[in-house]
Amino acid sequence: MDKILRINMGAAGGPQQSIEKAGEFAALGGRATTSTIVGKEVPPDCHPLGAENKLVFAPGMLSGSAAAISGRISVGCKSPLTGGIKESNAGGQAAQVLARLGYAAIIIEGQPQGDDLYKIHINKDQVTISVDNSLKLLDNYPLIDKLKQEYGDKVAYISIGSAGERMFAAASIACTDPELRPTRHCGRGGVGAVMGSKRIKAIILDDQGCENRQPKDADKFKAANRAFVEGIRKHPVAGEGLPAYGTNVLTNVLNEAGGYPTRNFKTGQFEDATSISGETQAALEIERGGSATHGCHRGCVIQCSGIYHDKQGKYLTKQPEYETVWSHGGHCGISDLDAIATLDYWDDNIGLDTIEMGVAVGVAMEGGLLEFGDSEGAIRLVRDEVGKGTPLGRILGNGAAFTGKAFAVERVPVVKNQALPAYDPRTVQGIGVTYATSTQGADHTAGYAVATNILKVGGDVDPLKPEGQIELSRNLQIATTAIDSTGLCLFIAFPILDQPETFQAMLDLLGSFYGIEMTGDDVVALGQKVLSLERDFNKKAGFGPEDDRLPRFFSSEPLPPHNISFQVPDEELDQLYNWD
Amino acid sequence: MKEVHNLQLTLVPASLSAFYPLIQQGLWLNVQTGCSITSLLTDQLGITLSYLNERITTLFLDGKAIDNPENAYLQEGSTLALSSAMPGLVGTTMRRGGHLAAMRDAITYQSQQPATIGNGRIRIKLFNMIMAEMGAALLHYGIWLPRQKLNIPFACQNDSFWHTIKAATLGGQPVSITELQNHLQATDDTQEFFLRVIFAE
Repeated sequence: MDKILRINMGAAGGPQQSIEKAGEFAALGGRATTSTIVGKEVPPDCHPLGAENKLVFAPGMLSGSAAAISGRISVGCKSPLTGGIKESNAGGQAAQVLARLGYAAIIIEGQPQGDDLYKIHINKDQVTISVDNSLKLLDNYPLIDKLKQEYGDKVAYISIGSAGERMFAAASIACTDPELRPTRHCGRGGVGAVMGSKRIKAIILDDQGCENRQPKDADKFKAANRAFVEGIRKHPVAGEGLPAYGTNVLTNVLNEAGGYPTRNFKTGQFEDATSISGETQAALEIERGGSATHGCHRGCVIQCSGIYHDKQGKYLTKQPEYETVWSHGGHCGISDLDAIATLDYWDDNIGLDTIEMGVAVGVAMEGGLLEFGDSEGAIRLVRDEVGKGTPLGRILGNGAAFTGKAFAVERVPVVKNQALPAYDPRTVQGIGVTYATSTQGADHTAGYAVATNILKVGGDVDPLKPEGQIELSRNLQIATTAIDSTGLCLFIAFPILDQPETFQAMLDLLGSFYGIEMTGDDVVALGQKVLSLERDFNKKAGFGPEDDRLPRFFSSEPLPPHNISFQVPDEELDQLYNWD
Repeated sequence: MKEVHNLQLTLVPASLSAFYPLIQQGLWLNVQTGCSITSLLTDQLGITLSYLNERITTLFLDGKAIDNPENAYLQEGSTLALSSAMPGLVGTTMRRGGHLAAMRDAITYQSQQPATIGNGRIRIKLFNMIMAEMGAALLHYGIWLPRQKLNIPFACQNDSFWHTIKAATLGGQPVSITELQNHLQATDDTQEFFLRVIFAE
C-alpha cells in the first residue's frame, strides 16, 4: 500500500485524479488513516455535504495480506449526522481488494457541478471516472445486478442506494460480500450522504492480476497467523458462539440482564425476546435452508454472519445482526423475525444504517405515527416512505434526532445526534460513559472489550470498583481505536482478551508484516494519538463538554425491572480525555 | 385441587431442538431451595464443577449478574439463567468475575446469607451453547408446565415432532401416539403436566 489515490470531483473540466506516495500512511491503516487525513485536510467547521468535506476510504494495516480476519474497510469524513469527525467501518471484500491494488487510501474531495452521477472503476492499470446517469436512484441490490453485467463477478463493489443520493443523514455505504451481495455497510454517521454529495454512485475495485501483499518476515508472519487462527478457533465466543448463533446471541442475555431497551427505552426487558433471539433465528435459518454460519469476507475464520431465507426458502437478506434485530425488533415492540429480516433487507437495499433507522422508527412510534408492534407499518415507513424519498421519508431518513424534533418527542436516545445502540446505559453504566464521550457519537463499538487487562492502559483498574467506569471506558476507547486501525475485525477482541498468546500472535502478525517489533505500548500510543486528533477536530467543529452527555431521561427515568438510572456525574465524564 | 398429568417421553436426540423455545423461556423444576447455585447445579442436577467453571461463564439470578455462584442462593420462585461466554463489550461485561464487571455494577448480585433449606420450584433458562449442552439433562430431571406450553414442542416444524416419539407413558402407563394426542386434546390448557424426557437413539 504505497500510494494514495486522490480524486477531485470539483475540478474544472470534470473530475481529476492523481496518485501520491503514501508516505506516513504506508504503515498505517483503517481509522488511523482516515481520521488523520480528515483531521489534517477537512476544515472542522465546513458543511458536511459541501465541497470542503472529504471522503476517505482506507483498508486496514493487514488488509490484502494472508492475515486472517483482516478485511475491515474504514470510511472517514465530517459526519452529516453528528457534525463531528466520523469513522465507520465494514467487512465485505472491498478492503482486501483495495489493499491488493496497492492503495493506502482513496481521498475524494470537491463537488461536481450539475446533476451527473459518477462511477469509479479501479484496476491495476488505471482509474476510470465516468458519468453513468442510468444508475440514478437505483437501490443497492438492483444497482449491483446492473454493474455486474458490465464489470462481472471478480470484483468488489462499494455503493450507495437512493438514501445516499438523497443525502439522508442515516445513509450508509455498502460493500459487497463474497457472493456480491451489498450486505456489509459502513453504517454509522451518514457517510453514504457524503458519497452522495460527491455524486459518486459506485466504486468498482478490480484486483485481477494483483498478488497478496507480502510480509517483511514471511516465516514469522506465517507462524503468527497460524497461532492467531488457532487462538480464535479455540475460543468459546469467536470459535463457537458467534459461528453458531451470530451476534444476535446477545438478545437473551441482555434481556435477562434487564438491559434490553424496549419500546424506545421505556423498559429493560421485552416480553417476546425469545421469539427474536439468536438461538431462534439460527434455528429458523437452518430450517428454511439458509445458514447460520457465513463469513462476510474471504479469510474470515469466525463466520458470525448467516443467510436468512423467507418462508418459501428464498434468499431474503443476510443474517440480521443483534443491533438490527433490536432496533427494528424490541425497540419498536416487534417480535416477528420475518418482518425484522424484511426491514434489514430494505435498509441494505436503500442504503441505511439499521441502528439509526430502527431507532428513528421507534421514536416515530413514540410520537404517535404508528403503534408499537406494528410491523407492517414499520416496513411501509422504510420501504415506501424513506425508500421513495417522500417528505415523511426524508424526516425518518435523517435519523432519530431529526425524527424526534419532527414529532415533538422528548425521549430521543441519541448522543451527538447519533442513535444509541442496543444496550441500555442505565444497566451497564460503563457503556453509557463510552456513548457519552466517544468522538463518534453513541457507538457500542467505540469502546470495545479490547484487552485492557493486557494492555494496562493507564495502569490497573480494580474490576469490582464502581468508580472505575471512567477509567475502563477510557482504556477501552484507546484500545479499540488502535484495533480499528489494523483492519482486523473487532471480534478478535475476545480471544485476545482471554488468551495472552493470541494477543501476542496479533502483535507478531503486525510486527512481522512491517518488519518491526510491536508492543502493547505501541498499540496504546496509536490509539491515544488517533483519539486526540479526533477530539481536536470535534472541538474545532464546536463540540464542548455539554455534548459529552447522555440524554437527560437516562438520569431522570429509572429503568425497570432494576429501576436504576444513569449515575455517573458530569464532572467524571469530563475527565475521560485526561491525556490531552 | 388441580390434577397433575405425569407424562414421560422417549425421543430421538435430534428432537431436543423442538424444546429450544421452551428452554429459552425457562423450565420450572422442583428442587431443594436455599442452596447455592453451585450446589444446585452440581449436587442436584449432576453438572460437573469443571463444566460450571469453564463453560457457564455468564449467570443471572433474578436478573442480577452473578460473579460467584457459590455465594448466590436460590429461593422458591427464583429464576436462574445460564449462558456461555458472550460477544460484545456488554457480553464481556456480564461474565462472572470478569475484568469489566465494574461496568455493570448496578445490576451485580450482592451476596446474601444462605436462605432456609426447603423444597420449591425454580425456573431455569438456558441460552446458546448451554441450551444445547444442558437442555437434555434438565428435561430428563423433569419439568412442570401448563398444558398450553406443551404446544411449543408438539407443534414444532409442522407437527413432525410426533414422529420422533419412540415411547410415551401417561401416569406410568404406556400410551400410543393416538392415545396421547387424544388425551392432550381433552385436557384444558391450564392443567398442569410433569414432563420427563429421555433422549435415546
